[in-house]
Order: sequence, then structure tokens, then C-alpha cells
Amino acid sequence: MALDASQNLEDVELLARFAKGDRSAAQILTARLAPFVFAQAYRMLGDRAEAEDITQDSLLRLWHAAPDWQPGQAKVTTWLYRVASNLCIDKMRKTKRHSGEAVPELPDDRPNMERRLQDRARAQALRAALGGLPERQKQAMTLRHLEGLSNPDVAQIMQISVEAVESLMSRGKRSLAHALAPQKKALGLEDDG
Amino acid sequence: MDKDFPPAPLDDQDLEALFAAAQRDTPELDPKFLAQLQAQAAAALPQQPAAAPQRRRPGIFGRLSQVVAQIGGWPAGAGLAMAGAAGVVIGVSPPETVLDITSAYFQTESLSELSGIGLEAEFTWEDS
Repeated sequence: MALDASQNLEDVELLARFAKGDRSAAQILTARLAPFVFAQAYRMLGDRAEAEDITQDSLLRLWHAAPDWQPGQAKVTTWLYRVASNLCIDKMRKTKRHSGEAVPELPDDRPNMERRLQDRARAQALRAALGGLPERQKQAMTLRHLEGLSNPDVAQIMQISVEAVESLMSRGKRSLAHALAPQKKALGLEDDG
Repeated sequence: MDKDFPPAPLDDQDLEALFAAAQRDTPELDPKFLAQLQAQAAAALPQQPAAAPQRRRPGIFGRLSQVVAQIGGWPAGAGLAMAGAAGVVIGVSPPETVLDITSAYFQTESLSELSGIGLEAEFTWEDS
């Protein structure tokens, strides 16, 4: 099938084509899904190399699952969120690391350098605080507030009820609020009004 | 005594600011890495079984060739054809020797007694 025509297909349709050996479907799916898996992994881990590992592993698992994919099962993105999220948690367990790695230097010719540095500092502090949460709280908070998913979507990914998601997030938020309180001034939050 | 008080927890607005910063602080996917993923995806494509060649129905010569091949090839086929032709010749115009043998076997004077086979044909071996 022509690449242009395939661009409009749903993920599940492309996955079915992938399972039949369609190379263009493989290309489109990769271009479509890799960025968001990478972003999710980076937001959880704060490390580019590890986020790339997770992206690669998640997609390989998707390719292997493609031939047996049932059209009625979870959305492809939901499935991928779950896989990537679990892989990130495994990675954090193994490395016993809960905060971001060393921050790579940003080029200093950016006009909004100060803002970017502040974003970086805030993101790092948030990741460190998230890393101190119990795994389920961390997973729920990340999916809801960093990936911008709805509560029902988070519930589906985590395979729990919406009420359980709400409970996890309520406790997670409270824990984060206290854990980050000492850094409030350093993170410039008192100036935000 | 202020230092004895724990710092006030962040409010929802503070947390939202942190989440927003973390969302912005996400690097772009490296194009080289994306190309590598594309290659891996292509390599992971399931192998489809090669399309079976369409079987063509053999023509009359093809079928004849198949029959001939089953009986031993063209030399055997030629022998069979010759034997068949000889049989026809012997049947139409039997040599004397064949006629004698036949007559002796069937106890008839001539083949004509047999050739007019009908309900009224009389077979000498049935005369009893």
C-alpha cells in the first residue's frame, strides 16, 4: 500500500498490516509510536540512553506481539504505555536509582536559556521526588500528569479501577507536595504566584 | 522559632508548574535512533510464505507426456503404440496361423462364425 494512504490508518490497522509483512506499516508505526514511548521513558527515567533502551525494547515487544494481536484488545498506545511503564519500573528497581542522571549541558545560545534551565531543574526535582513514591503511585502520577492521560486510560493501563487510580494519585500528590516543599524556593515556585 | 516549622507543602499550582516543566524538558528523538528503530522494525517483519506458483492445467500434449512418462518414457510409449497397431492389423486381417489357432481353440471353421455375434450366434463350445 502507498505510504501516503497508510498514514491515515489507525494503529491497530497498521499493526495488522505489519503482521502481514507490510514494510510501510512498520515505518509509519515506528515514526508514530517511538517518540511518545521515548518521551514517556525519558520523563520517568530522566536519562536519554536508558529511555532509548526502553523505546527499543518496547517496540520490539510490539512487533513480536503483532501476529497474535486481537483487534478487540487494548489500544496499541495503551498497550505500549503499559509495557514501557513496566520496563521503566524494572529498570529503576535494578539500578536503585530514583532521580535523573547528570544533566547534559545545554547550548548557551538559547534566548530562553534561563527558562530552560529552570525547567530542567524542576523536572529533575520532580523526577527525584517521584522516584521516592511507591511504584504504583509513581506510575499513576506519571501517566496522568506527565503523559496527560485521562483517569480511565490510566486505569486501563494499570489494570485497576478508576477509583483506585484516583486514590493513588491523591496519595501521590500529597507525598510529592511534602517531599518537594524544602525546594520550593530553589525551584522558583514562590515567584510564580 | 520559624525553623522548627516544616516547610509548607506545595499546592496544586506548584505541582502543576513542576509537571509542566517536566513535560517541556523532554528531548526530541534522535533521527539516527529513529532510523535504527525503523531498520529493526523492518527486520522484525513476519516472514510471509512465498506465494505458491499457480499450477497450470497441462494441455493435451502435456497430459500425453505425463502418461508416457508414467509408462516408462517415449521408447516404451513407441513400443506400446506399435503393439497396439499390430493388434489392430491382426484383428482386421489375421494371418493364417492366427486363424488356425483361433479356430482350433474355439472349434469353429472360421472367424466369420464369431464375427457375426448376435443373440443368434451359435458358439460351438456351447453345443451340448
